[in-house]
Amino acid sequence: MISGLAVGSLYALGGIGLVVLRRATGFLNFAYGAIAAASAMICWQFIDWGFAGPVSWLMSILTGVILSVFFGRYLAPSLAWREPVVKAVATLGFALIILGLVSFIWDDAARKLVLPTDKIGFRLMEVRITVTRIIAFGSSLLIALGTILYLEKTRTGLQMRALANNRAHSALIGIPILKVETIAWALSGALAGFTGMLFGDLVRLDPTIITFMVIPAIAAAICGRLESLFLTFIGGLSIGVAEAMLTLVKPAAPFRSLVAFVVAVLVILWMQRKQRLVFQTED
Amino acid sequence: MDVISHFRQESRTYAALGFVAICVIVLPVVIDSIWVKVLTSAVIFTLAAYGISLLYSQLGLVNLSQVALIGVGGWIMLRLNYAVQFPFELNLLVSAVITAFIGMILALPAMRMKGLYLALITLMVAGGFQIIFSAIQFPNGGAGFLGVALQSPGEMRRPLIAESDTAYLRYSIIVVVLGVMLAAAHNRGRPGRAWAMIRKSEANAMAAGVNVTLYKLWCFTLSGFLAGVSGGLLAGALKILDAKSFPAGESILLFALTIVGGVGHWMGAVIAGFLYRVVPAIFNTIGIDADLSLVIFGAALLHAIMTAPNGIAGQLSSLFQSLGRQNK
Amino acid sequence: MIRISDLSVHFGGVVALDNITVDIKDDIVGVIGPNGAGKTTLVNVLSGFVLPDSGTVDVEGVDLLSLAPHMRARWGLARSFQKVQTADNLTVADNIWVSLDTSASPGMKKHAALNRVLDYVGLADMADVPAYKLNPCQRRMTELARCLVASPRIVLLDEPGGGLSEIEVDKLRQVIGNIKTIFGAQVLLIDHDVELIKSVCSKTMVLDFGELIAFGPTETVLQDENVKAAYLGTEIKV
Repeated sequence: MISGLAVGSLYALGGIGLVVLRRATGFLNFAYGAIAAASAMICWQFIDWGFAGPVSWLMSILTGVILSVFFGRYLAPSLAWREPVVKAVATLGFALIILGLVSFIWDDAARKLVLPTDKIGFRLMEVRITVTRIIAFGSSLLIALGTILYLEKTRTGLQMRALANNRAHSALIGIPILKVETIAWALSGALAGFTGMLFGDLVRLDPTIITFMVIPAIAAAICGRLESLFLTFIGGLSIGVAEAMLTLVKPAAPFRSLVAFVVAVLVILWMQRKQRLVFQTED
Repeated sequence: MDVISHFRQESRTYAALGFVAICVIVLPVVIDSIWVKVLTSAVIFTLAAYGISLLYSQLGLVNLSQVALIGVGGWIMLRLNYAVQFPFELNLLVSAVITAFIGMILALPAMRMKGLYLALITLMVAGGFQIIFSAIQFPNGGAGFLGVALQSPGEMRRPLIAESDTAYLRYSIIVVVLGVMLAAAHNRGRPGRAWAMIRKSEANAMAAGVNVTLYKLWCFTLSGFLAGVSGGLLAGALKILDAKSFPAGESILLFALTIVGGVGHWMGAVIAGFLYRVVPAIFNTIGIDADLSLVIFGAALLHAIMTAPNGIAGQLSSLFQSLGRQNK
Repeated sequence: MIRISDLSVHFGGVVALDNITVDIKDDIVGVIGPNGAGKTTLVNVLSGFVLPDSGTVDVEGVDLLSLAPHMRARWGLARSFQKVQTADNLTVADNIWVSLDTSASPGMKKHAALNRVLDYVGLADMADVPAYKLNPCQRRMTELARCLVASPRIVLLDEPGGGLSEIEVDKLRQVIGNIKTIFGAQVLLIDHDVELIKSVCSKTMVLDFGELIAFGPTETVLQDENVKAAYLGTEIKV
């Protein structure tokens, strides 16, 4: 249950990163997991080279930012006016590139990402709670709140919301599109770097596995209808907890990762019951 | 239709038939046995890629679960092989139909949403089947519904007329051609018209009386059917299937290569099959790491999406057209 | 006859249609009004793309609102869009054929219907031309042909004259004017071109801010003080 909340927090963070980016730029970033994986590996590498913890963690987040901004600044603009599906497919290409590079640079050996907070913890009702897990949950809560506030209260946040609403009009009223979008890509990338690092610690440090954590993150984003940060947060937590619960149910245990899919389908079906407009307008 | 474009249409058909004839008659003879297996695999995935291509070119919908559905088709094929004594062709048909049905059910929720949701759902389906296949493995003659025998696997039967690897290659090519023709029949007829209308504007299609959800679903089901056929053929080709061959990443990769090869024309699917199976084998032979092929393919997808909407096939086609014009 | 009763549509706080009640009997009826008056919303409700908050639409005893959009089309409701939506990679004939696929009555001779409508709009020699090669007028004619081919009962035209030259509007006038005689369908025509409305519509309804502010013989309606005020924005002292 506790680990479910912790992992669910990571899904929630992933979902939030996806939703913020999508709202500001229209890109649903399939490469999110791949960026997280690359960041986690960089973090491990720096620790392996003997750098201090905080430096490595910083490198993790920095990697996320660099990769994300690279795509957002140099590749995304030429796709800005294309369909959302095309944009998403482009991020898929980026994901393959990153995954290929990461798999190539670091061979298949099993590695562990260990954070000092793993060793600190306490027992609560027979369950060991490490500080890492607390950080995961706590930070996701803080970041979720922080992002919601950021979008509501700050000027850039307002600009991002305007962009999400209508890109063409935003340009007309003088919003610096490229700058705001780059900030969105950077934020999303930083989140990816942070999430990747924690994921590598709490679950497994394996590039492919971390790359595909984009799936539960997407499921969380779907819970938020690809726009509500609050619902995304709740969705991510729920998926994490449900997965953890299923580990206790013996026959279903191997299938617990299907939870994300089932939740997403249920949410989509529920969304359709409330459709008033019969066809989809432009995105 | 004026005479010149009619002639061009005819010559394109003859070119296609010629290509197929060469493949069936000449090719299996001139290549050695290892490459026969690789080529058979490429041919089989060509059909699946064509399924992806159909959905994307006709409706702009993204199917990221095709390899998973191939796995489903293969699973059912193997299961039938050990359970009943039906001929290969019947098993193949049944596998394809059931796969199509499963694909349809899974895609149904996303059909009335924005196109992006189908991409998301199929990605999750791919992930889901990765887990399922790992858990239940593939039937190979064992007892029970799952039919997994840990020792002494059974025998996967091949079609009576295509026992040898070379014969099976020819057989696969013919089946693939039949599959493409099935899709072409759809394109030329009522579904093709409905799809084109939906692509332009769902509202307009509805206003013209088209049941948009039904036709979108039909296209996806057809795509799934082709995946099912591919799966069945693959089971016959490899005789055993391994859960490790069907992770979510493979579905994504096949999709990527379908775009790179070029959607909308069968040639693009052929290129995709070639890229998916033959190129990695070549890379292996000359010593390039498999991971780097991911990088190359990812870059190719990005490039294709950003600049060349019709992929390699489209560029080849334009090349031939401009050469043709020069020769006049 | 189309009987619309108490039709209302709200989008959030905005009233798009406000208790519209009108009986439409004439062959060709115009719908005019300033931008944002609710004309397209009305057509969207009739064709099924917007669900009204209240009200009914009855056509010859059929409760139109109970049918799904594509079923209304099959029943006999055809509509065109402000922005022409011909499928670019289909030929003219194939575009028209879509309606024959879906809405032809059993026993209808489809090829004959296709040829008839192609002659009617003047595209008989362009049947096999892919739509992306057409100019705007030809595209509009293709769309109209598609609307008419399966002998609809009602045709809704949403600003068909947009982007057409004078000569082309003339042709449009002819095409619209003969719909009842040749195809037996009632026409509802939305447009800003007052000359076009005057020349084909026997009656006209005027919408402003979602309200029906006038309905009657076209000439009379166009002289109505309230209608003039709506377009000019001046207030009327009653």
